[in-house]
Amino acid sequence: MIYYLSLPFLSILLIALQSTVTDIFFSGRLTLEISLIVIIYAGFHLDLIKGIILAFILGFVMDCVSGSVPGLFTFIYMIIFLFSFFVSDWLDTEKVYIIIFFSLFCALAKEIILVFVYYLTFKIDMSMNSYFIPFMQTLIISIFAPVFFYLMARLEVLFYGKKT
Amino acid sequence: MFFLRKYKTIIFIAALLIAALSMISYNLKYGTDKSFLRKIVLETVAPVQKVLKFSITSIKDNWSRYIFLVGIEEENKNLNKKINELKAAIVSYQESYQEAQRLKKLLSLSDDYNYNFISARVIGREQAALSRVILINKGSSDGLKAGMPVVAPPGLIGRLVDVSWHVSKVMLFIDENSNIDAIVQRNRTQGIISGAGSRGLVLKYISKTQDVKEGDVIISSGMGGVFPKGMLIGQVIHVDRQDAGLFLKINVAPYTDLSKLEEVLILSSDETKIK
Repeated sequence: MIYYLSLPFLSILLIALQSTVTDIFFSGRLTLEISLIVIIYAGFHLDLIKGIILAFILGFVMDCVSGSVPGLFTFIYMIIFLFSFFVSDWLDTEKVYIIIFFSLFCALAKEIILVFVYYLTFKIDMSMNSYFIPFMQTLIISIFAPVFFYLMARLEVLFYGKKT
Repeated sequence: MFFLRKYKTIIFIAALLIAALSMISYNLKYGTDKSFLRKIVLETVAPVQKVLKFSITSIKDNWSRYIFLVGIEEENKNLNKKINELKAAIVSYQESYQEAQRLKKLLSLSDDYNYNFISARVIGREQAALSRVILINKGSSDGLKAGMPVVAPPGLIGRLVDVSWHVSKVMLFIDENSNIDAIVQRNRTQGIISGAGSRGLVLKYISKTQDVKEGDVIISSGMGGVFPKGMLIGQVIHVDRQDAGLFLKINVAPYTDLSKLEEVLILSSDETKIK
């Protein structure tokens, strides 16, 4: 129960931290989407109900704070969580290169969905757009994901005495 | 009953997915919703972001202050020189302004709108994917309404899209959804300024026969009544005439450095003064 009660507050804290770090270190040019890494981590380690609620709340908070179409992040995060959850049975989720490539794939998929939705709804001329920034963001996520997974594993050991 | 119990997890997940899809479809059809829940989240995020930003910025500023003091004297000299140059420029501009005022009076022209400025502090920045928004510490309790133009010296930076009680979301004009009616100051050619994300701005629908050059100043046209006329938007940095099509491809750099925004002004136009 504590998990579900604390989820909205922790989600707000995470999104606020994420945008502050991004703003200060990248001056708003790049985004370090820690929330996406959290969703992938949840897909690998949490059960279905806990994870999908986390994805829903995190996506909703992201929708409220960001300027995207409300509901879009909620939907994308849930899809990414479900994909990570079902794929985790076939993957060795402890391997660093698996984490890197899987995060890269998910981040890329997310960017493609966003660009596609924006193209369909707002008729944005994508030829005018630079693809460099979204690509750099996916790279940053894939590089940072193993670090996050490692830190979470250490936290788990600290709190629950689990061996990873 | 048995069916519900057996497939409760699947039903629950399907319900959440349908809720998200409904949210998207509702917002695409009727525009961004101003639900109570969204306002609550915005109100909660704002103080957290304020505290985090203050702490991290303090550490960063102290670091910069003590470590990077080298070259300050030289910079100071250069700045003083620049101040003297600018003082001279101001005197000249004041003369021109007074002359313009006199001429305006002679022609009996007057502004149609009476704008009040409301200042606000930037407390957060969200640059997810194709959107570019900032959070400010003023909301509907300060008289703000969605759609109001937002400026930061020397010019326009965007408009309010979501207004909560004490926090508001500003869509910067470099956001992919942003479109502003604009004119080229030199020859009054009219076009639409659209956001191009990290690439700045793009001036659209300018015919290839028009004379637009690099360095031309772009200002708001005042059409539509949202943005006042004559507000600085940006400067043309590249004009592409080679591309196939009827129109020029014009890249515009915003005048305001959007990555360093700290305070902004909101133009409130509660009363319309028509003479």
